[in-house]
Amino acid sequence: MHNRIYAIIRRETRELLRDPVYLGLAFIVPLALMLLFGYGLTMDVKNIPVLFYDMDRSPLSREYMNSFTNSEYFRNVGLAKDYKEIDHVIRSGKVRVVVVIPSDFSRRLHEGRPAQVQFLVDGSFPMRAEVVKGYVAAINAQFNQGMVSQYLSLKGQTAAAVFPISVEGRAWYNPSLESKNFIIPGLLVITLMFYPALLAALVVVREKESGTIFNLYCSPVRPWEVVAGKAIPYIGVAFINYILIFLMSVILFKVRFTGSFILLSAGALLYIACTIGIGLFISVISRTQIAAMLITFLGTMIPAFLFSGFMAPITSQDITGQIVSRFIPATYFMGMVRGIYLKGLGFSYYAWDLLTLTIYAAVVYSVAILSFRKKVG
Amino acid sequence: MWGRILSLMRKEFAQILRDKALLFILAWAFTGAIYTAGHGMSMEVKKFPTVIYDLSKSPASRELINRFQLPYFKILSYLHREEEITQWLDSGKASMAIIIPPDFQRRINSGEQAKVQVITDGTISMSATIAAAYVAQIAGDYSMEVLERQGRFTRSAFENLPIIDERLRVEFNPNILSSWFTSLLELLNMFTMVSLLLTAAAMVREKEYGTLEQLLVSPARPGEIFIAKIIPTIVIVLSLSLLSIFLILKPVFGVPIRGSLMLFYSVAALYVFTMSSLGIAIATVARNLAQAMMIMLLILAPMLFLSGAWTPPEAMSPWMQWASLISPMRYFIDFGYSVLFKGNGIAYVWHDILGIVLMGILLFSFSRWWFGRTISK
Repeated sequence: MHNRIYAIIRRETRELLRDPVYLGLAFIVPLALMLLFGYGLTMDVKNIPVLFYDMDRSPLSREYMNSFTNSEYFRNVGLAKDYKEIDHVIRSGKVRVVVVIPSDFSRRLHEGRPAQVQFLVDGSFPMRAEVVKGYVAAINAQFNQGMVSQYLSLKGQTAAAVFPISVEGRAWYNPSLESKNFIIPGLLVITLMFYPALLAALVVVREKESGTIFNLYCSPVRPWEVVAGKAIPYIGVAFINYILIFLMSVILFKVRFTGSFILLSAGALLYIACTIGIGLFISVISRTQIAAMLITFLGTMIPAFLFSGFMAPITSQDITGQIVSRFIPATYFMGMVRGIYLKGLGFSYYAWDLLTLTIYAAVVYSVAILSFRKKVG
Repeated sequence: MWGRILSLMRKEFAQILRDKALLFILAWAFTGAIYTAGHGMSMEVKKFPTVIYDLSKSPASRELINRFQLPYFKILSYLHREEEITQWLDSGKASMAIIIPPDFQRRINSGEQAKVQVITDGTISMSATIAAAYVAQIAGDYSMEVLERQGRFTRSAFENLPIIDERLRVEFNPNILSSWFTSLLELLNMFTMVSLLLTAAAMVREKEYGTLEQLLVSPARPGEIFIAKIIPTIVIVLSLSLLSIFLILKPVFGVPIRGSLMLFYSVAALYVFTMSSLGIAIATVARNLAQAMMIMLLILAPMLFLSGAWTPPEAMSPWMQWASLISPMRYFIDFGYSVLFKGNGIAYVWHDILGIVLMGILLFSFSRWWFGRTISK
């Protein structure tokens, strides 16, 4: 039995080594992806192009505009001349926010009365619109505070009664709320979800197309030996990928790592076994390489990105999202990776996640082995 | 020439339509995948897992706590000891702790300021920031009510203060529904993935089976072979995307299709041509499907996630912004949202169309040149 598994492992490994282009790509591709995502995927909304339509043209309105453009969040792209221009720029997407300052702006404020300012926000990308809303509210509130205290001191009063409640926020584990500390460990999970699955997706179905699968059918080798023998070399490749990605995250991206590398690696090994297993399962059930490739691309890449809790917590999702997320091993690994990187907690906190991943792996391999029939047609 | 292309195309259609599993996946990609993405993925923070450590245990603190309610917050527990905060946040079961100081009520009644502490889990910094902002807003509203109740402030006092009242309107998506955004994005993703993968796989298969030589000795010229591979993809992708729009986007999510579908489909056909040409180019370079898959992953993943939909282009580093100019998907995303979502006409999107067409011509000519240099010799 051991000889048979060993023979299949040797055969797969030899096939891998025989194609140096593929082998080279297998190690370079995940690193290149991490580089591109690590530098490219910034969730910070900054330098939002904003256009002002200032009908007041007073020192006060200029001061108000400056309070926006002096922050790093907004970038002034100019002044509008009329309403038609506003419609045009927001449609063309060149500008994400338009601020319309009415002509009685400074007059009303100087009289000590409220003035209205209109904001038009491009809602094509909801996440950005939401953030813009927050920025606008914050900058506006700050400007108001200044206005009110100035006005009251002019009238000889001190700033009105103190606000009875103040909220003091603190973020644990990532005090400066740097987005790289949150994105890079997440990317490790996502990459190790779709990448190993893609590595393994063609392994069996390729033999079906070329006909060499009949060699396996005729041999005394058992289905579980085929699946295990094919999985092991690819788990090896993916585990080396994991080590490289980990080193990159710590050395190049300088993500805080406070936990145990051994624990993370143990989890990663289980997780990779799961995702290789997914690829193998797809490979076993597909008849053509095209189908296997499409299922794997569609079934792993975008779902891992959307449903693993990478962007927004799973608890916020409605029932469809929660169900989908349960089928993705990334969901079980995400909390663990972020926790080990930033919280530095030990084994006992992740025993449950490790157990879940073990069960997941057991189920995937069982299904893959059961679907592998040594029969024609 | 068209006679030859037509007979080659018949072969391609037969090959795709014969593969029932493939057809099923394709249909699912344009319906089920879009449904789950639009339904299951929301960036809003809802049911944020929260614990409360109330040291005041007073009517005032209870009144404040009562305001932290679903759908935004889910209160998991009321704590009795400070260590419990660490336990809840470490284990990841709670993502936020709200701490109310013992002198809360006394300070409020005596006109002093009471400090409420909010501790968030920084490992999910994006959602934590949003949730903390909700808390601040709730505390602010409560503060106003307290002031009013104590008779120290009235809402009408606002009438006599120089305050800027921001009136915010979100264009194109007034309620900031993420389902509109995600479902449309997923449709554009499917256009990209399926056109690339399907065409590349169909081309590589000829190499792997050795049938490419047969095609070469036939009177068909390389350009004709390519066209015969591309047109079936265009037909399949365009017809399936009708399902997405009329079965999912419009009826299920109520996405307003504001622009001209004629314009959208004409340019979508060009886009599928461009992405298919990219597939052909990869197929002419790669030896087998495994190699092609690696190259496609390397191109596809950054294209999908750095297309400008998740990461605002203005927040990307300058060299990333330049690099994104060679990605056809960047133009298509811009075009798709502009036409379908904003209802723009050709005057707003001609540069996107130009980008798509230029990249298509470039890739198609490259494939012919490389093919002529390597294979048909």
